[in-house]
Amino acid sequence: MNEFVETLLDLQWHEPKSTYDVVIIGGGGHGLATAYYLATRHGITNVAVVEANYIGSGNSGRNTTIIRANYGIPESVRFYQHSLDLYSTLEEETGCWIMHATKGLLWLAHTETAMRSERARCLLNTACGAETVMVDPQAAKAICPQLDLSGGGRYPVLGASHHVGAATARHDRVVWAYAQGAMRMGVHVLQNTQVTGLLRDGERVTGVQTANGNISAGVVLSAVGGNVTTIANHAELRLPVRTHPLQAFVTNGYAQSLGPIISDTELFCYVSQTARGQMLIGAEFDPQPSYSTQSSFNFLQSCTSKVTHLLPFLKNLRILRQWTGICDVSADFSPIIGHTGVDGLLITTGWGTWGFKAIPAGGSLMAELIATGKTPPLLEPFGLDRFASDQALADQGSTGTR
Amino acid sequence: MLALETLHGTRIVAAPEALDALDAATWSTSVTVLRFAPDDVFVLGAETISISGEYAIVEAESGFVGCWLTDEQLAHVAEHIDWPLPVERPVLVQGFVAGVPAKIWLTSSATGERSLLLCAAPYACELTERLA
Amino acid sequence: MLWLTCPICGRRPIDEFSFGGEFPTVPDRITDPATRDVDYVWMFDNIAGVTTERWFHHAGCRRWHTARRDTITDAVLHTGIEDATDTVL
Ligand SMILES: Cc1cc2nc3c(=O)[nH]c(=O)nc-3n(C[C@H](O)[C@H](O)[C@H](O)COP(=O)(O)OP(=O)(O)OC[C@H]3O[C@@H](n4cnc5c(N)ncnc54)[C@H](O)[C@@H]3O)c2cc1C
Ligand SMILES: [Zn+2]
Repeated sequence: MNEFVETLLDLQWHEPKSTYDVVIIGGGGHGLATAYYLATRHGITNVAVVEANYIGSGNSGRNTTIIRANYGIPESVRFYQHSLDLYSTLEEETGCWIMHATKGLLWLAHTETAMRSERARCLLNTACGAETVMVDPQAAKAICPQLDLSGGGRYPVLGASHHVGAATARHDRVVWAYAQGAMRMGVHVLQNTQVTGLLRDGERVTGVQTANGNISAGVVLSAVGGNVTTIANHAELRLPVRTHPLQAFVTNGYAQSLGPIISDTELFCYVSQTARGQMLIGAEFDPQPSYSTQSSFNFLQSCTSKVTHLLPFLKNLRILRQWTGICDVSADFSPIIGHTGVDGLLITTGWGTWGFKAIPAGGSLMAELIATGKTPPLLEPFGLDRFASDQALADQGSTGTR
Repeated sequence: MLALETLHGTRIVAAPEALDALDAATWSTSVTVLRFAPDDVFVLGAETISISGEYAIVEAESGFVGCWLTDEQLAHVAEHIDWPLPVERPVLVQGFVAGVPAKIWLTSSATGERSLLLCAAPYACELTERLA
Repeated sequence: MLWLTCPICGRRPIDEFSFGGEFPTVPDRITDPATRDVDYVWMFDNIAGVTTERWFHHAGCRRWHTARRDTITDAVLHTGIEDATDTVL
């Protein structure tokens, strides 16, 4: 598998211009997908994506690639299902192989309380178009023969919800697919260009300051992952967001195939297999807010002890790499997309530990909002103003396992 | 295998100054005063305790289990502790032992005393298993 | 691994503690009382730098304390038992 996918792509790099119709801060999945859909769907190509480092260097290039729609509130299920649908046709649309694979996801329950919430989730998901069915332990074992139904004698499996449409895709290929598609249409991607401030005309945001000079813009979109507070501070914008580190690790190859994605609502851990056969494992974000990408031993310790109870074969594998990303976690665990109350500044944030799956929907709906000036119905619930109007979208229970 | 048994003692929550006095008082060797926090103490082996302090709460406490350790057992337990044990004696240390919230009353074995490992009763099985 | 110093028990690994949140502050520039309330309830400073926050030592003394931590390096600069009223509020 060629890791240097960018060398195979046809990319046209540009010198920055002094002005664009749209300037997008952050060359992660959300920034690049927004640029891609602005260009391909709305004919808006006078666009720059300004990236501090290299594209995909943020969380879009370091996540565990799980794509699913089995959330706990209707607004979210509909939104994420739309994203799932867009993902399944992305290879065809962009002509890039993003290694998309539909695998299904088993969400294990060990207590009656968890069984009840999974049953409710199945009903809600199915009603909103995301097929999810309850399965008993034997059926779970048939879907994933490696499961230890006794949970190592400690966490017996009472049942699981089976989210049939869940998938994975190679994260950096998604980033590069959108970048290539956008750049072919004339979008400028400016790497190694950090935004250090916002240009203001009175209250209005009129562009960005960068280490390489100012760039003015009709509209500025902030899509900077865990660094969103720094950008918001430039506009005196207050956000219900905290930055938390999220860690993950990968093992050496497992000779057999692990069919579905295995997650656990109560132990907060999840396991999937990469296309190379390695096991990709993650858990909850670190409890304290932090901008540090230092990985920790206690994460490995607690995470390995949980997953080996469920999938004992993992004990025979070795840990190859461990890493950390810093995530923009919103106060109600749902994304914040759209207007900010500051003229000329839009935002896409609160993607926390769950925003990879949302890249196609987030990007296409944000592009529609910028192009038409109207908030698409799927985005309406996710505005920043929901906090002041007491319409927060609390859904922490659905994000525990990415 | 350690045998953790219920410890019957007295739990006192009071103003720190009142407990300082209790801590400093001279007791017979069969009495152990474990200062969990400035305002919280657990006393083992004392029949009657008088405490000054207007708001002091004095209650019989059987919520902890524990066992007295030989030097060898203590060395084994210490292998399951991630943080350094202090050198001073006697001293109460508190924190994860084998990942379970526990406390150890460390004494000086030179004077023939033994150390006491204790934890909240619901953790008894977990701690015993992990130290086995 | 990140370590915190409990003012009562001493230096311990971070998994012995629960994070209790930073001290909420509302910027002076927000003057409308309703907006101040929304800010107090929902918004975070999310400081990249030194924060003042509360931690609970659940595996030890089971007491709250205050820490000052640099969120960029995770270095803990100070811990003490002073409570909310002594510091930033
Ligand atoms: C370990 C881990 C596992 C995860 N697993 C999953 C998963 O399984 N499923 C899922 O759906 N989600 C998952 N996520 C979450 C997901 O990765 C993110 O929500 C998503 O990638 C966010 O995309 P983004 O484009 O908003 O941000 P990012 O990809 O982080 O991009 C932001 C970009 O902005 C740039 N930037 C920042 N500041 C500036 C500045 N001042 N000027 C210019 N550029 C700037 C950064 O360099 C970065 O490239 C995981 C995250 C992590 C860390
Ligand atoms: Zn303590």
